Amino acid sequence: MTPRSDVLTESRTKRGDAGDGRALGARITRVDGLAKVRGAATYSLEHRPADLAHAVLVGSTIAAGRVRRVDQSEAEKAPGVRLILTPDTIPALKTASNWLGERPSEGPYHALTHEIGFQGQHVAAVVADTLEQAVEAARLVTIEYDVAPAVADLRDSRAGAGTEVEAMTIAWGDAEAALEAAPAKIRREYTTPREYNVPIEPHGLIAEWQDEDHLTIWEPSQWIAGMARTYAEWFEIPYENLRMISPYIGGGFGSKALAYSYGAIAAQAAKLLGRPVKLAVTRPQTFTAYGGRAETRQEIALGATLEGKLLAIHHRAANETSTTGTWVERCGGTIAIMYATPNFSSKHRVVPVNTVLPSAFRAPGENPSAWGIESAIDELAYEIGLDPLAIRLLNYAEHDHQANLPWSSRQLREAFAAGAERFGWSKRSPAPRSMRAGSQLIGWGVAAGTYPMRRTPGQAIVRLLADGAVEVLSAAIDMGQGTYTILAQTAAEALAVPVERVAVRLGDSSMPWAPVGGGSQLANLMVGAVHKAALAARDELIGLALNDPKSPLRHLQANTLPVGDGRIGDLEIGAFLAAIGRDHIEVLRDTFAENGKSADDPFKTYTTITGGRTTTDNGYSAHSWCAHFIEVRVDEDFGTVRVSRVVSAFDCGRIFNPKLAESQWKGGIIQGIGQALLEEGVVDRRHGRVINNNLGDYLIPTNADVPDIEVISVGVPDFHATMLGGKGVGEVPIVGVAPAIANAVFHATGKRIRDLPITLDKLIG
Amino acid sequence: MPNAAISLRLQINGHLHDLTVEPRVTLLDALREQFGLTGTKKGCDQGQCGACTVHVDGQRVLACLTLAAQVEGRTVTTIEGLGEEALHPVQAAFLEHDAFQCGYCTPGQIMSAVACIREGHAGTDDEIREYMSGNLCRCGAYPNIVAAIRQAAEASR
Repeated sequence: MTPRSDVLTESRTKRGDAGDGRALGARITRVDGLAKVRGAATYSLEHRPADLAHAVLVGSTIAAGRVRRVDQSEAEKAPGVRLILTPDTIPALKTASNWLGERPSEGPYHALTHEIGFQGQHVAAVVADTLEQAVEAARLVTIEYDVAPAVADLRDSRAGAGTEVEAMTIAWGDAEAALEAAPAKIRREYTTPREYNVPIEPHGLIAEWQDEDHLTIWEPSQWIAGMARTYAEWFEIPYENLRMISPYIGGGFGSKALAYSYGAIAAQAAKLLGRPVKLAVTRPQTFTAYGGRAETRQEIALGATLEGKLLAIHHRAANETSTTGTWVERCGGTIAIMYATPNFSSKHRVVPVNTVLPSAFRAPGENPSAWGIESAIDELAYEIGLDPLAIRLLNYAEHDHQANLPWSSRQLREAFAAGAERFGWSKRSPAPRSMRAGSQLIGWGVAAGTYPMRRTPGQAIVRLLADGAVEVLSAAIDMGQGTYTILAQTAAEALAVPVERVAVRLGDSSMPWAPVGGGSQLANLMVGAVHKAALAARDELIGLALNDPKSPLRHLQANTLPVGDGRIGDLEIGAFLAAIGRDHIEVLRDTFAENGKSADDPFKTYTTITGGRTTTDNGYSAHSWCAHFIEVRVDEDFGTVRVSRVVSAFDCGRIFNPKLAESQWKGGIIQGIGQALLEEGVVDRRHGRVINNNLGDYLIPTNADVPDIEVISVGVPDFHATMLGGKGVGEVPIVGVAPAIANAVFHATGKRIRDLPITLDKLIG
Repeated sequence: MPNAAISLRLQINGHLHDLTVEPRVTLLDALREQFGLTGTKKGCDQGQCGACTVHVDGQRVLACLTLAAQVEGRTVTTIEGLGEEALHPVQAAFLEHDAFQCGYCTPGQIMSAVACIREGHAGTDDEIREYMSGNLCRCGAYPNIVAAIRQAAEASR
């Protein structure tokens, strides 16, 4: 860890000074980094209880139909087998409520069913003494099906038009009339395929019952409280009897926020066997045990003046969902706020197909929405003969036209300026196919991105210990975004101690409440909660020093006392606590009041997503923003695309640790490169099956696919957005990358690709 | 009895370990499940991600595609054995350059990086990128990984 002597100063708290060399804003090395580089960070599935049994799942080989018969006779005879669960034998659980806190039915929940809705759906689970025994026995389970016709995907002719989602309709002005009358217009369709989160740590869990109504789950989790609620409700045990432990998470990107059916299966097996059970989802199974980003389709029409000023945006979108549940990949988000337009209309449909229910993948909604509008605005620029950056500035939204509110902050113009300057945009030759190096066609593209501020209250404990050290406790999580580090920085800043004197403990349901680590909200809201708790702890310490009858400092009759570096006044905190007969000071604080929320129902606030604020609830519209400038090189003969240079500028408000924020920004950009050029769940339409369900065939970027990436922060502290002035960092960097690359590919080749990913067959055809 | 247990004596991180396992047990599962050496990660279990990279006789090897029985009489080094007292320079460089986020691919990246430098494949950034492309990182720490390896390689010359 980097020693930091410059944070050992007196106690004072400044708000709004980003990067002023104090703990908050400093480029502090990741505090969990030492454990991670040593291989000493223990992820959930690496817990090793005694007498552990191993469960292996058997998946459906059909996409629709019914399990007629499961023959487990051979598997039962295999060595080491202790239990086989099938639709015929699995006990019923209670149906858990969903993330809105609504119970879809009062009926029973079966984690294995005879009805098959998608290929890969769990049909059986085999539990044995060793993993090898369970794997072998699982192969011996034979399943007979009654096969029904399946709808493979959104492009399947049998899929139909689906259902309109009324709540997604956004409209102002008269988009259709304005479009009709517009002197310049384009109408295009943009599509994205199924995309998968692919964290390098596969999903899974260890379930262990302490007694018949106390269950402990070790499982990687972006949302301790939400997942704990699901398990507790399934098994009808009090929430507090469910312990959920997730100290480190090997990546999630949206996929580790919910409890899935394999979790119920493992916990049921553990209960039936009376011993702990580990269920590790295999890499191929990660493509069907939970959903990734839904396939989307958007039709966008833009009407404009001949000078390029937008008159109308007309948007019709659809995404696939499963036959048993509804996932809305909200494509109207970015397009409704990015540009100024007097007339706007957006509608969204969901279309059921035979897939696992899609779910959240980094910047759900905003990502495909930006793919559409940031491609379309680029097409309009060429149509009219404007520079792609100029058309974006010409149509700059000075306020939120959808909500008709001012922005809390929007440094997007500054992002465009800083990015263009560093990239050298002014040297761009405007015509497609006008820049080359030998057989390489060179293209430069630009696109913007955004992500809304989601905000939920948080809660934290801060403890001041006798040796001057500080502890921070929260059920928040760190999946790599740096929660451990910035919460240590926050407590260090508030209490004027070195960061290395702060120990942060996260990822345990026995700790204070935290909402979901997703939607780019967790860092900001937990920084607020820890800051409040730390200041309260300091105040309590000072109060005791001034007022406690045994306080050696009482005689000073001071109004206040300096606290810092393990001391209060001229006393060591330990010596002071000993004098008043205490071994520590502990305070618990939440941020309901600061977020304007009622504290009446913390359980609902933290275990559902209904406790969050809207993006506009305080009269300001709060979002993060970014601008990507990307160079591609396309081989003229082979159609291969390489991203050769990226400069991206971000407005994420105040940055608490630039070193970690820059890592997240680069990581989001790299996932965007994957989305643009590589990632696609390939569906075999005959069998309704994603056939590239492994890391050799579902391609994500490798080191050799990634060029130098320069990231720039143009944000300013935004106290309308959050307590300490930060805005979301994690989701926004992926938003706009794919269209920036497609725009660059058009500039290089003159070919406009509207269907992701941009593969060579689409360029040489 | 094809799966009758066999007795193995393995040298891991400089220590000899006796082990009785079925012959089909991989080195990866032996390390993680039998020895509790969970620094070696399971990302795909089919040789596609590199998270399980260890050294066998000093060369980088995928532990998920290696049977435990194959390494008897050979020297196995895992992330836990790389820098037992002080950090190995590659570990220190990864820390300094923030060459990871979630940390799950990190032990494999570091084991690969140490071998990559030793092989003489860290001469340029492009060479590092090429010879580190067997180790996937979904958080996208690649630019920082390259910076870390560049620094460690330069220091080793």
